[in-house]
Amino acid sequence: MTCVIGSTYDQRTWGIVVDGVARKFGSVQAIRHIDFVAPPGEVTALIGPNGSGKTTLMLILASLLAPDSGKVRVGGFDPVAETAAVRRSVGWMPDTLGFWESLTTLEVLTTLGALYGMHPDQRLRRSQELLETVNLAEYSGQPARVLSRGQQQRLSLARALIHDPQVLLLDEPASGLDPGSRVELRTLLRNLAAGGKTVVVSSHVLSELDEIADRAVFVSRGESVKSQTIDEAGSQIRRYCVQAEPMSALAEALISHGVRFEERNDSRRTEYQVELAGTAEAAWLLRTLVLADVVVTAFAPAGGALEETYMSLETDRR
Amino acid sequence: MSTETDPHPAAERIVPADSLPFWSASGTVFWLEMRQRLRARGWYILLGVWLVVLALIFVLASAFLGASDNEGPVLFDMVVGFVLFFGLLVAPGLSANAVNGDRAAGTLAILQVTLLTPGQLLVGKWMASWAGSLAFLVVSCPFIFWSLALGGVRAGEAFVSLGMLALELGLVAAIGVGVSALANRPLFSIVVTYMLVAMLTMGTLIVFGLTMPLVSERTTVTMSYQVQTGAELLDETTIPDPADFECVTDTYIQDVPRTERTAWLLAANPFVVVADAVPYARDRQGPTSLGGQFEQPGVMEAISQGVRTMQAGPDNDVTCEEIGVAPDLEGQPPIWPLGVALQSLLAGGLLLLGRKKLTTPAARLAPGTRIA
Repeated sequence: MTCVIGSTYDQRTWGIVVDGVARKFGSVQAIRHIDFVAPPGEVTALIGPNGSGKTTLMLILASLLAPDSGKVRVGGFDPVAETAAVRRSVGWMPDTLGFWESLTTLEVLTTLGALYGMHPDQRLRRSQELLETVNLAEYSGQPARVLSRGQQQRLSLARALIHDPQVLLLDEPASGLDPGSRVELRTLLRNLAAGGKTVVVSSHVLSELDEIADRAVFVSRGESVKSQTIDEAGSQIRRYCVQAEPMSALAEALISHGVRFEERNDSRRTEYQVELAGTAEAAWLLRTLVLADVVVTAFAPAGGALEETYMSLETDRR
Repeated sequence: MSTETDPHPAAERIVPADSLPFWSASGTVFWLEMRQRLRARGWYILLGVWLVVLALIFVLASAFLGASDNEGPVLFDMVVGFVLFFGLLVAPGLSANAVNGDRAAGTLAILQVTLLTPGQLLVGKWMASWAGSLAFLVVSCPFIFWSLALGGVRAGEAFVSLGMLALELGLVAAIGVGVSALANRPLFSIVVTYMLVAMLTMGTLIVFGLTMPLVSERTTVTMSYQVQTGAELLDETTIPDPADFECVTDTYIQDVPRTERTAWLLAANPFVVVADAVPYARDRQGPTSLGGQFEQPGVMEAISQGVRTMQAGPDNDVTCEEIGVAPDLEGQPPIWPLGVALQSLLAGGLLLLGRKKLTTPAARLAPGTRIA
C-alpha cells in the first residue's frame, strides 16, 4: 500500500476534510456527526449500511447540499462559500444513473466538457480519450440509451473525469459492473490515486474495497463510527474458515491446541470458524494443522478485512 | 480502462474555466435540450397533428366563407386566433417539465455540479422550450400567408400578429419553465401551468365580469334614438326615407358599469394582447350606419374593438348627431403593453423563484425530494 502522505498532507490545498458535519431533512437527521479525512494520493472508502448517510455526505462534498453545521473543505475550499472553486476541482459520479438518452456517449462527454469551460478541441480530445479509458470507444456514436447498465456506469465514470478533477467522489461505482470491468475500475482508481488525486469511493461491496482502498471510514446512522487504514484492518482479529477431510480430525487438532472454533452450516459444506489475531497467528495455525496430519482442504479469511470491521460494528450496535 | 497513470498527458493540463460566459453556457443547455427534442418522435407527431387540425379548420372555414367578400381578414383572424389557442395548449406541455423532468431522470444534478449557474440553466431551458413552441408557429405560417394572399389584410398586420404570437408563446414557455423549477413533479407543474394559462385567458374575463357590479355607478344617462314617424308600414320594397325619422332624446338615471376602471384586467389576456397589438386598418364604416356597407370584423379585431370599448367606458351622453357614428376608439391608448408587462411580471417572478430553488448547495429541500 502506498499511503505515506497522510501525515504530511496540507489540508489547505489538498484532499477532503470533514469536521463535525450534520444535516437534516425535515425531521430526519440524515447525518448526525461525521468526521472524515480523505488525503490526496489515496483511495478512501466510505462504508456503511443503506441509509447511513453516505450519499448525503457525497452530495455535501459535491457542493449540492449545504450542511446544517460543521466544517467541510474540498481541495481546500468551502463548498458553500467557494462553490465554483470546489466544482472546478471535483468530479462526482452519482449513485443514480441519469443520462440524456438520445445523446451519443461522445456528446454526453463533450457537453459536460463545455459546461466546465473547456475549449472545443480539448473537450473532444479528452472525451475520446476517456471513452477509450472506459472501453466505450466503439460506442462513441451510439445513443446512451442503448448502453447496458454496466456500460452506463462506465460512461458515468468518464463523465466524472471529464475535467480532470483533483478530487473524485464515486458513489457505488462498481455496482452493475462485470468482473472484468471491476478489475479495470480498480486499476484506474489506483492509477488516479497514484497520480495524486483524492479518491473517495462509497460502496457496500466490501471485498472489492479491500483491493481498492487505502483507508476506510465507517458510517452508521449518520455518524462516522470508525476510521482505519487497510493495514490496520488487516492486523485486527479476523475470522477464518477452515475445512478438512474428515472434519473430526480437524476438531481434535483444534481442541488439542486450545483454539476455540464454531461450527457453521450456512454454506454448502460444513466449516469451522476460528478467530485469529492477524496473519502471523493464521500462518501458525495452518502450519500446526498440516504438521498434525490434518488434511486441510480450505483455510481462508471468512471475509475481507473491511467486512470484518463492518460486521463487528454491526454487532456492536445490537 | 488503460493502465496509464494519468489518462491525460501532463503536457496538456485541463484547467476548467473560472466561470462560464452567460450566453455560451445557456447555449450549451439550449442545444442539449434541442438535440433531445429533435431526436424524439413525440414532437414531430405533435407538429403533424397540429398541421392536420389547422388545415382542416382552414379548409372548412374557407369553404364556409367562400362567398363573402370579406374572406381574407376573417380567415386571417381566425387562423391567428386558433394558432394562439393551440399554442397556449402546446407551450405548457413543452416547457412545464423542463427542469423537474430532468430531476426525475437524474440528469439535473449532473448539470448542477458543473460551472453552470441556475440562471444560465433556466435561460437555456426557456429558450429551448420557446424554440420548440415556435416550430408550431412556423408550421402555421402557410395558412397565415394563404389568408394574407386572399387580400384585405396588410402584410404589416400579419407580421405584427406573428410577432405577438411568438412573444406570447415565449411568455407561456417562461411561465412553464419557472413552474417546473418550483414544482417537484412534472405532472403537477404541467397542470399548474395550464391553470395559470387558463387564469390568464378565462380568469381575466371572469374577474372582469364579476367586478362589473363593483364599478357600477348610478348616473344620469342621456340617450338619443331614431323613431320612425311615418304611419305607413314598410315592406321590403320601400326604402325608408330618412326624413320620416325623428330623433328622440331621453334622460334617465341608471346603474352604469364604469368599465374603464377595470379594463386593465383584460390586458393580461393573451388574446387581448395579440389582438390589441395589431394595427387594424380596414375600410369600414360604423356598424350601424344606415345604407353603409357592413362588414363583420374578424374574431381578433372584434376582441380588440371590444376591449377598446371597455377602456372607453360607457358613453352617458349620446346626442342626436352621434347616432350611428362609431365611438372613437382610436383615442384609447393601446392596452397590450400593459398586458405584456403583467405577463412578463408573472413569468419573470416564477423564473426568479425557480432560480432560487435551483441554487446549490441547497440549504432547504422540499420534503420527499432527492437532489440526485
